[in-house]
Amino acid sequence: MKHLQLHNDIRQIPLLARFIETISREEKLDENLTMTLNLALEEAVANVMLYAYPKGTDGLVDIDAVIGRRALRFIVTDCGKAFDPTSTPEADTLSPAENRQVGGLGIHLVRTIMDEVRYERRDGKNILTMIKNI
Amino acid sequence: MEVKIEKTGEDLTVKFIGRLDTAASQEVAPQMNALKGETSGNIILDFSQMTYISSSGLRIILTIRKDATANGGRVVVRGMNDGIRSVFMMTGFLNLFEIE
Repeated sequence: MKHLQLHNDIRQIPLLARFIETISREEKLDENLTMTLNLALEEAVANVMLYAYPKGTDGLVDIDAVIGRRALRFIVTDCGKAFDPTSTPEADTLSPAENRQVGGLGIHLVRTIMDEVRYERRDGKNILTMIKNI
Repeated sequence: MEVKIEKTGEDLTVKFIGRLDTAASQEVAPQMNALKGETSGNIILDFSQMTYISSSGLRIILTIRKDATANGGRVVVRGMNDGIRSVFMMTGFLNLFEIE
């Protein structure tokens, strides 16, 4: 299992990209899979960084990666306010530009890229588990 | 992320160099907002040196697209790599832009 801890500072997002790239190199994942995993993780983590904690307060986000032979499991944990991203409505990906809403694309990407996305609230923590079959 | 903006006649070319992730998007957004109303011509988004885009970057370019249309201009996306193309596909953005 690999672990990364970040603060709720969006400028730390490049550290997450490096974390995923290291896993990708070690597991010999292809370039496209690396990019999409990076994207799904960034969307989940950025959401926590931007919205989980009250503005101006320091908070942490933990990322665990469990590498299996057939699947990669990523667990994103924070102690911010309860929020279940899996309960949000589907993003609009069909309307013409004039009517297209700009929100909800992040979780849409997570759902599209990952094979399974699970949320639970436990001990005052948001725990988002994302599984990608390989 | 570096952004280069060039004006040729009425047309505006915006060249993105590097990763347009959430962190970069926050830096770039004010610069892009300042473009609003800058031109009544077409806007070319040059992605040939963009290596990555996240949803925050998509929101920025959708805003550019909406503003340009409101001003009567077109938006063309040029030179995107396969990874970015797949993000456009997953989000239905391929249908929103003229792609070259």
